[in-house]
Amino acid sequence: MMDIPPLVLQFGGSLVAILVVSGLVWALKLGGKPGLENALDVARAAGEVEDGFRPIRHSIARQRDAALAADAEGRIMLIKRHGNKFAGRVLTPAARVREEVDMLIVDPGEARFGSVRLSLGDAAYWADAINRL
Amino acid sequence: MPDFSPTQYAVPLFVAAILIEMGWSRLRAPEAYEPRDTLVSLAFGLGSTMAGALLGGFAAYVFIKAYDFRLFDFGEQWWAVWWAWPLAFVLDDLKYYWVHRAGHRIRWMWAAHVNHHSSQHYNLSTALRQTWTGNFTFGLLFAIPLVLLGFHPIMLGIVGGFNLIYQFWIHTEAIDKMPCWFEAVMNTPSHHRVHHATNPRYLDRNYAGVFIVWDKLFGTFEPERSDEPIRYGIIKQLGSFNLLWAVFHEWIGIAQDLWRAPWRHKLDYLLREPGWSHDNSRETSDMIRARWLARQSGQGEAAKVHLPAAAGNPIATPPEAA
Repeated sequence: MMDIPPLVLQFGGSLVAILVVSGLVWALKLGGKPGLENALDVARAAGEVEDGFRPIRHSIARQRDAALAADAEGRIMLIKRHGNKFAGRVLTPAARVREEVDMLIVDPGEARFGSVRLSLGDAAYWADAINRL
Repeated sequence: MPDFSPTQYAVPLFVAAILIEMGWSRLRAPEAYEPRDTLVSLAFGLGSTMAGALLGGFAAYVFIKAYDFRLFDFGEQWWAVWWAWPLAFVLDDLKYYWVHRAGHRIRWMWAAHVNHHSSQHYNLSTALRQTWTGNFTFGLLFAIPLVLLGFHPIMLGIVGGFNLIYQFWIHTEAIDKMPCWFEAVMNTPSHHRVHHATNPRYLDRNYAGVFIVWDKLFGTFEPERSDEPIRYGIIKQLGSFNLLWAVFHEWIGIAQDLWRAPWRHKLDYLLREPGWSHDNSRETSDMIRARWLARQSGQGEAAKVHLPAAAGNPIATPPEAA
């Protein structure tokens, strides 16, 4: 029988174990997909992204999985669902935005955070606001 | 000479405890786990073990060399000196407090330790979210004084293993509070939830490993409050389940800052606290806390003149005992 180095054996066994445990989390339907339903949800999520961020205007994507919010200082925050939590970024001039049919695609300028697609009623307003940053 | 690694024996217990907590989560708090988050946490644990096996030799070499210069000698049968074990455990925990505190206050150290805080969840799988890059920091230097005192590196490895095992069970929301006497002396789920929080009140608090008394002694203790929901993770949440990004993002950030910063500030980006910047374009935990405190006192003033303080951030409400 082929000799397998103990470290490789440990790695392989552990890899199988973590896939099984993670699969169990999925099979048990843990996690869920919370949605942004109203202004309070957006304010809460925005406050989690940056403590003290108080939206004075916001728009929630139709899928309830993302939102844009602006504060009194004119800053714009992009919020997206991440797993069953929310994460976001205050947009900078590095942010890019484009419209596709009824979809607004916002790129905060961070490759790993990624672009966020939002189906919004007032997409043109936000596109204009982001382009003016 | 003992040849014993307590963490290896604890692995089955870790797995069993995670499965039990998942059962609790299914019944009481389904949001406590998330499949991809769990996968990343466990992959962190696996990678950390591999990194330790591949890179830990350097630390062992340094410790063995330092042991030659020890001040006190427990003799050839050092493992038979029974009182040295509890003494080593307590002193190692004191060492852990300081290396952990440095891990939060020095960006070079934080680059490795941030891994452990990168989840927005707080469950037993989070405990396994251990660093891959600890060997690239100077954390091992904190243990050198113990070696020079005469504690054999193997003894320190064993008590350190038990320290790590103790810290596993405190990564849970399934346990509210332990008995008062226990909460007073030991690190508990409640105390450690505070440590993993990003709420301004809780930032850089409760560094303890096993004994919470170190935080009380050195002024970094903060009790958990029932009226302030904890949000977990890091100030700038990753927003990504990419494992390699989670492992190396802070190192990449440091490299970018070192490249861009003026010469006189380059070292600051390595040795100062996370969030520090030479042009004040970012915020440290101290700055975030100060801004939060100012806002709280402002809200207090607003309340006096009947302004709608309730319009404030619904997460960070609590003004009383800051």
